[in-house]
Amino acid sequence: MRALRRAILAMGVGTAVAAILRLRGSGGIPPRQGKWRQLSGPDFR
Amino acid sequence: MSTVAVIGSGVVGRRIARQLTASGFVDRLILGARRPQRMHGFVRQLVDVDIEVIAPGPLPAADVTVLAQPSGGHTELAEEAIGNGSHVVSLSDALNDVEGLLSLDSTAHKADRSVIVGAAFSPGLSCLLARHGGERFDRVEEVHVARMGTGGPSCQRQLHRARTQQALERRNGSWMKRPSGTGRELVWFPDPLGAKDCYRAALAEPVLLSASFPEAERITAKVAATRRDRLTAWLPMLRPPHKDGGPGAVRVEIRGVRDEIQTTEVIGAIDYPSAAAAAVAAIAAEWSLLGVLPSGSWSLGMLDDPLPWLQELENRGITAAVYEGLSNT
Repeated sequence: MRALRRAILAMGVGTAVAAILRLRGSGGIPPRQGKWRQLSGPDFR
Repeated sequence: MSTVAVIGSGVVGRRIARQLTASGFVDRLILGARRPQRMHGFVRQLVDVDIEVIAPGPLPAADVTVLAQPSGGHTELAEEAIGNGSHVVSLSDALNDVEGLLSLDSTAHKADRSVIVGAAFSPGLSCLLARHGGERFDRVEEVHVARMGTGGPSCQRQLHRARTQQALERRNGSWMKRPSGTGRELVWFPDPLGAKDCYRAALAEPVLLSASFPEAERITAKVAATRRDRLTAWLPMLRPPHKDGGPGAVRVEIRGVRDEIQTTEVIGAIDYPSAAAAAVAAIAAEWSLLGVLPSGSWSLGMLDDPLPWLQELENRGITAAVYEGLSNT
């Protein structure tokens, strides 16, 4: 009985944490380095 | 007297007609339209050239025939045009069209005519960028093309079909068929479009680029898609396509060896796909008229020197960009 209560509690805590992360986290776009540079005349010679 | 026939008067076909009219190389322009009676207003905008509008039927005699109509049947039309003694510029991005047009190589050589395959945005500009980027390598190992955006409604319908057909990829010297909608990859397109999830689809670039990069272990092509695109890919189009599916972008990632160092090069472009496709096709038609292009059936990725094309596109306002920052790995 005690083990069952602990399992239910653990599942509840896990669900709550996952729900918070899911709702608050945007997923977002990962950070990146570098940038785009437009190619112009000299690049085509 | 130079005559160009533009078969297909949708968004891209009209843009091609405008560019050809403005080029000064064309004396007579024949426009093929499904409903010629709807072309009066457009024809009035084109000045300084003789314009004729024709309904679907036998191809007219012309020095260059630009096939800008919806995908499918381009091979048969190209054969007919070659029979008329015409150069051919095809904008189709359908795999069966592309493979059929490439098979016309010997016919085109015998007739001393050029058949330019996939002269559009993607394929087309994408092939030019891949060719240009690949020249900087001692050995190209992988080429990965990604695109987003479409041209007119026909282009959107073709992409809708491509999302359910089998994608063709080059792997270790052989062809592999993979299911469309798989292979999710977050691709960074040139700003401001930014990052989009891209998936496999039946795209033509691997077929068109394999001749230029015979040593490449992998050649792939993916297209940006939303969850709704993937969910509804198996259904008929649920709403009419947009008049213009832009803005769009193309991104080519090339991996290989340069100066004995493993290197990755990323090159791309952003524009309205219909505008870029029209510019590429118009250049192909104009240079075919001038007789400066090789005979046979080929794609822009098979060119020895893509620079004149990229320079001319830059003159027409279509610029490429290179991604700097993580080039060497």
